[in-house]
Amino acid sequence: MADCKDIMVYVETAEGNPVKVALEMLSPAKELADAKGGKVIAVVIGNNIHDAAQKIAQAGADQVLMIDAPEYEKYNMDVYADVLANLMKEISPEVLFIGGTQDGKDLAPILSSKFEAGCASDVMNIKIDDTGKIVFTCPLYGGTILEDIEITSFPKIAVLRSGAFPKLEDSTTGEIIEKQVSISNDCIHANIVETVKEIAESVNLEEAEVIVSGGRGMGNKDDFKMVEDLSNLLGGVVGATRPAIEEGWISKIHQVGQSGKIVAPKLYIACGISGATQHISGIMNSDYIVAINKDEDAPIFEVANVGIVGDVKKVLPIMIEEIKKIKEAQ
Amino acid sequence: MNILVCIKQVPDDSVEVHLNAEGKPDLKNITPVVNAFDTYALEMAARLKESSEGEITVVCMGDASAKNSLKNCLAVGADYAFLINDAAFEDSDTRGITHVLKNAAKKIEADTDKKFDLIFCGKEATDAALGQVGPMLAEELGVGVITNLIDIQLDTDKVTAKQETEEGYRTVESKIPCVVTVSKPEYDPRYPTIKNKMAARKKPIGNITMSDMTNIKAEKVGKENTLVNAIKLYEPPKKEAGVKIQEETDEDSALKAVAMMAEAKVF
Ligand SMILES: Cc1cc2nc3c(=O)[nH]c(=O)nc-3n(C[C@H](O)[C@H](O)[C@H](O)COP(=O)(O)OP(=O)(O)OC[C@H]3O[C@@H](n4cnc5c(N)ncnc54)[C@H](O)[C@@H]3O)c2cc1C
Repeated sequence: MADCKDIMVYVETAEGNPVKVALEMLSPAKELADAKGGKVIAVVIGNNIHDAAQKIAQAGADQVLMIDAPEYEKYNMDVYADVLANLMKEISPEVLFIGGTQDGKDLAPILSSKFEAGCASDVMNIKIDDTGKIVFTCPLYGGTILEDIEITSFPKIAVLRSGAFPKLEDSTTGEIIEKQVSISNDCIHANIVETVKEIAESVNLEEAEVIVSGGRGMGNKDDFKMVEDLSNLLGGVVGATRPAIEEGWISKIHQVGQSGKIVAPKLYIACGISGATQHISGIMNSDYIVAINKDEDAPIFEVANVGIVGDVKKVLPIMIEEIKKIKEAQ
Repeated sequence: MNILVCIKQVPDDSVEVHLNAEGKPDLKNITPVVNAFDTYALEMAARLKESSEGEITVVCMGDASAKNSLKNCLAVGADYAFLINDAAFEDSDTRGITHVLKNAAKKIEADTDKKFDLIFCGKEATDAALGQVGPMLAEELGVGVITNLIDIQLDTDKVTAKQETEEGYRTVESKIPCVVTVSKPEYDPRYPTIKNKMAARKKPIGNITMSDMTNIKAEKVGKENTLVNAIKLYEPPKKEAGVKIQEETDEDSALKAVAMMAEAKVF
């Protein structure tokens, strides 16, 4: 068993498409599989998921196991965990990758417990050291400290952070294998009876090239609109700190940071944001950071390319006007 | 309703943790507190208890200093508290931790002759943020788990929970007993009144060690038996601070900044 070198990748889908991190995971999976001489085996579970399976097959998986049946139409953690456990027993992969989505973060520890498999969470980087050992990099203390860890069990489970790995550029096409997995009904403890979407807009912070974020320093909901205005002007996406969300100025889907989205835009503008670790650790991959804060000692300035010490409510309207002028002149 | 709440003591998360000269996290001057998400879990449990009836037991795996955290829990809704402490448990990984928690829960159940209906955990700890303990504990116990709760409702044989999602929420039902993990609900945890604080100080804190738990497997706990090992700790490369602009007026500062951004061609 321990000589099985395959890397299994669980592909979560949303509205029939593989989620972004699923595609991203294929690149470290391929790297590991190549180094170990194994295969990348992706698993897609759902109903009518042939398109998703096709996309994964074309995105670098050697094999795509498609578990396609009406009973998998709706996500159920217990059922999906059972399906994955069955496949793991059959394939016996060395490593299972799971994307760091909300549901992925639940499935991983369940499987970890089922297999007594060591589990790495929020993996930001993966390397193989000189001795062939797989080394996972994970954040501690909100990202102020990084930890390299090894997993000694077989199999190993790793939950990969969304946005941390680039998608494979050019890839081969793998084969799709349809599979039936029978699960027992007594594995079901809990059921989702209703799913409510409170947010109609789609917010794609992770792929945004420009993000304008507002923090508690924006003061109130009305003034927070200036953040949205600047973002609109720059064709960007609006971000926010946790306090701005707790104040109700904007919905949670806009949260940037450790417990929100990890972002990597070309331009990040932080308005009235102090620069707490939990926020900063989510913006470190930004190319160019502009910060506006009235406190000249605010930690955000330590990571800003350009820091403006001043009242954000005075600075933002002028920036907006000035950038408008420049844009019009272009 | 018999409720167990699992808490962890962590360094105050409003303070940045860095490495000291020995390359270890420098926690010397950081106050230990109850993990924020565990305080939300305890508050949710306390509200549930108040809306029906029942008792709350809190357990914490940690060293003797964690007694203070347990006292704080006794002042904000918990009825009983146990410290799970044994040199053999030090540096356990999550497999070890959940194995110990399960056995501690079983021991308390046996001693009190009462089963736990609900086990509350925070959705993750603010130090390592793994978010593994809740689901793993449920799997170990062979019961269901609902994660990221922002609200909970109780019926005779099931719980109905509001699970926070990115776009809104899900309503999830689970049979009882089950494990739930708690995110930040709309309310804040209560502050202890002076009276409750005084009362909490007088309450005993039970101690659970390795030898108290009959079914514990020594080969799953402690530093020697981890499945996940740290190789090294380091700080992420620092981004270099750029320029700080502070002109006479905010207007001048803004104009200067825009000029620099234009020059850097970032928009
Ligand atoms: C477990 C955990 C997870 C967390 N996850 C996240 C996360 O994902 N994302 C996140 O953002 N936070 C997160 N936090 C919260 C985080 O610790 C900070 O509390 C938060 O980032 C601070 O937000 P802020 O900068 O908006 O507010 P504050 O820290 O209050 O800063 C407000 C800033 O605005 C400035 N200001 C005020 N008025 C003006 C003005 N008129 N003009 C200019 N400047 C002004 C002030 O000088 C101050 O620096 C988390 C915390 C914990 C414990």
